[in-house]
Amino acid sequence: MEFYTNALSHVLTFGPLTAMIGATLLGVFIGALPGLNPVMAIALLLPLTYSMDPLVALAMVAGIYNGSMYGGAIPAILLRIPGTPASIATTFDGFPMADRGEASKALKIACWSSAIGGIASAIALMTMGPMLARVTLFFGPAEYFWIAIFGMASVAVMVGSDPVKGIMAAVLGLLIGTIGIDNLSGQARFTFGQTWLLGGLDLIVVLVGLYALPPVLQLAEKCDLRGLSAAQLKLADVPFKKGEIRGLIPTWLRASGIGIGVGILPGAGGNIAAFLSYNAAKNASDDPSSFGKGNPQGVAAAECGNNADNAASMIPALALGIPGNVVAALVLSALTIHGLQPGPQLFHQNPTLVGGFMMEMLITSVLIFALGGAVATRVFAQFQRLPGVLLVPTILILMCVGVYVINGRAIDLWVMLAAGFAGYFLEKVNFPLAPVILGMILGPMAEQSVRRALLISRGDVTELVTRPISAVLAAVTVLVIVWPLVKMARRRRKPVEH
Amino acid sequence: MTLKATFIGLTAAAAMAAPAFAEYPDRTIELTIPAGAGGGTDTSARKLALLLEEKLGTSIAILNVGGGGGSVGASQFMQAKPDGYSLFATWNSPLTTVPQVQDVAYSLDSFTPIASTSETAYTLCVKTDFPATTGAEFLAELEANPGKYTYGNDGIGGTMQLAAERIFQAKGIDAVAIPFGGAGETLQNFLGGHVDIYGGSISTVLPYVESGEAKCPIVTSAADVPALEGASGLEALGLADKETLLWRAILGPKGMDPAVVEMLANVIDEAVNDPSYVEFLATKGEVPNVVKGDALGARLQSEYDALAEVSKALGL
Repeated sequence: MEFYTNALSHVLTFGPLTAMIGATLLGVFIGALPGLNPVMAIALLLPLTYSMDPLVALAMVAGIYNGSMYGGAIPAILLRIPGTPASIATTFDGFPMADRGEASKALKIACWSSAIGGIASAIALMTMGPMLARVTLFFGPAEYFWIAIFGMASVAVMVGSDPVKGIMAAVLGLLIGTIGIDNLSGQARFTFGQTWLLGGLDLIVVLVGLYALPPVLQLAEKCDLRGLSAAQLKLADVPFKKGEIRGLIPTWLRASGIGIGVGILPGAGGNIAAFLSYNAAKNASDDPSSFGKGNPQGVAAAECGNNADNAASMIPALALGIPGNVVAALVLSALTIHGLQPGPQLFHQNPTLVGGFMMEMLITSVLIFALGGAVATRVFAQFQRLPGVLLVPTILILMCVGVYVINGRAIDLWVMLAAGFAGYFLEKVNFPLAPVILGMILGPMAEQSVRRALLISRGDVTELVTRPISAVLAAVTVLVIVWPLVKMARRRRKPVEH
Repeated sequence: MTLKATFIGLTAAAAMAAPAFAEYPDRTIELTIPAGAGGGTDTSARKLALLLEEKLGTSIAILNVGGGGGSVGASQFMQAKPDGYSLFATWNSPLTTVPQVQDVAYSLDSFTPIASTSETAYTLCVKTDFPATTGAEFLAELEANPGKYTYGNDGIGGTMQLAAERIFQAKGIDAVAIPFGGAGETLQNFLGGHVDIYGGSISTVLPYVESGEAKCPIVTSAADVPALEGASGLEALGLADKETLLWRAILGPKGMDPAVVEMLANVIDEAVNDPSYVEFLATKGEVPNVVKGDALGARLQSEYDALAEVSKALGL
């Protein structure tokens, strides 16, 4: 306890405090603008802080990271454009809610859920960090393979009414994921001699094209010259029904657990956490068919899940010196620059700094409560008042800038355009887009893990299911696939009464 | 009218009279790093850039171009103008290792070597209960058990794997290489017991050697490494010529002005040997080693040739 009270007294000083408030606001903006993402923002800003007090630098990281995970929900709800890959699942129910005039309610739920997920995650980091870190070591390639397969099984719930189209979309994602250098053989695949394809297609570039361009084109189709007047802007508070908030509590608990679980595993991430949380909420629901049509539970699960990933993803980095994602790697590099050595001794080496950073992850999550809602409704929602003829080019320019700065090369803009037209076409013929992105993320993870596992077992396939954790994961995966079928069969047996 | 024309003429003449590099650098220098943000190369380059900005009196914009083990960034950079405003901060692998396994568009001739900055050895480590402790015992154990042990490395055909295989080939050792995405991932799988041997950078595994969880019998440098007390350098094992290091350098595109190269090399030399940078390198287990201009070119060429030999033998 003294560990944290001591750290707290350092965090609650002028520098870190202003940095946290400023960075959380900045993070919400970065998350909300499609193309701009927290990794890039932190990579750009962190070197500027090398000469500053490290707690100020880390406050900035915490704020941007937590703020942006929530910020991604704002355009996801208002425009059906996910601001970050982790907010794809938020579009499923967030946009339908906004469409029927409940934008403000959806934003509020997203804000609270993000804050709660972030707080739960920070508490896990503070109380169980080193212990959870040791747990991650039991996960070898065989276990990672099953996690990826488990994630893909959740495609089943987002394919909508037509499973065949959903599977086709997922396969498209898997195919895109195979482009580039194969990490296990060193061979280039499907690059057609193009150097820029060696690294594969960038997830963010494809995401922005696939997800942001179709809604923009739809806006353009409407040819809207006037925009909404202040009165038409549907921000009027739709009151929460009695017990509605209490009904969200189980979802929050479940999503926080899933987010933390995914977060501590190096290599997974907020996007997977959001999908799995959404999937779990839908499976647990009495009325799964209401998901995708504006069920507040869907927004709560997705947003709580992706924020719960954040602080937890710092656990292996801080406790073991193993960065699980780029943000964690940046944090470790910042600590190295300040002369600290990442590894198991870090907690003892500089308790003020490590404890302080954990407090900052917690405080910036709380700040989302205070700042998130206001930014969303006072600033971003007002963009809807812009006439379509202005909104369309504005979003397009932001998309192009965001995509260009990722790698600083013009070819990415063409990739974005191609992905955009593909997305527009796929939507017209009723293909779901989420499985494409999921395939892109999980395909390479599944492939590399299974090949590594087989290298280690010298080609013995049974090792994939005989290790204790992998056996459990395999069983859970089968359950997730079979459970909805069982439910469906039961419902069919019972005649529907009206 | 005439006055304006004369004025323009005069300025132009003045500009031409002065040697091109006299004003260099008078605008922002773009520094390409062929790796994502947050890794070892990135951190070292960014820290060095801060010092270079001060000494050159200009700002340095950093561009991370990751992917393809560094080949994507290198291919993109080789097309830059050799005017001194585009520099490339890389580690040795994209130039000497990656071309052995990938069909890349560049060769060593596509760049102007300016100066190397720092270097470190790789290490091979095992859990404390492994039945060998010294370098000689370790190699003997591996030799006696062909195909029994797995070792994690930074990626297929990566410098780390080639560094290990050069030693293994000399001793006729057969160990199973398991490629991971980087030293962090290798460490995770080593600590979890999924692979038997950790192969990677020293700084990543060092905390676990200090905590008594791991021991490192070998480093891939000829000399011993002070930070790893129990580890044998290759010279002590009679394998001095199999030394393979991880080192970093700054290069330009082909055809740079030799005067600018010399000036940059000297500034880099100063910055690398700045006490604050030396101290920073020490936390990562690296030491400064500045090799300039043509000597750097020769170092790259000889490493390239040695690795070509080993990767050919591996059938990569």
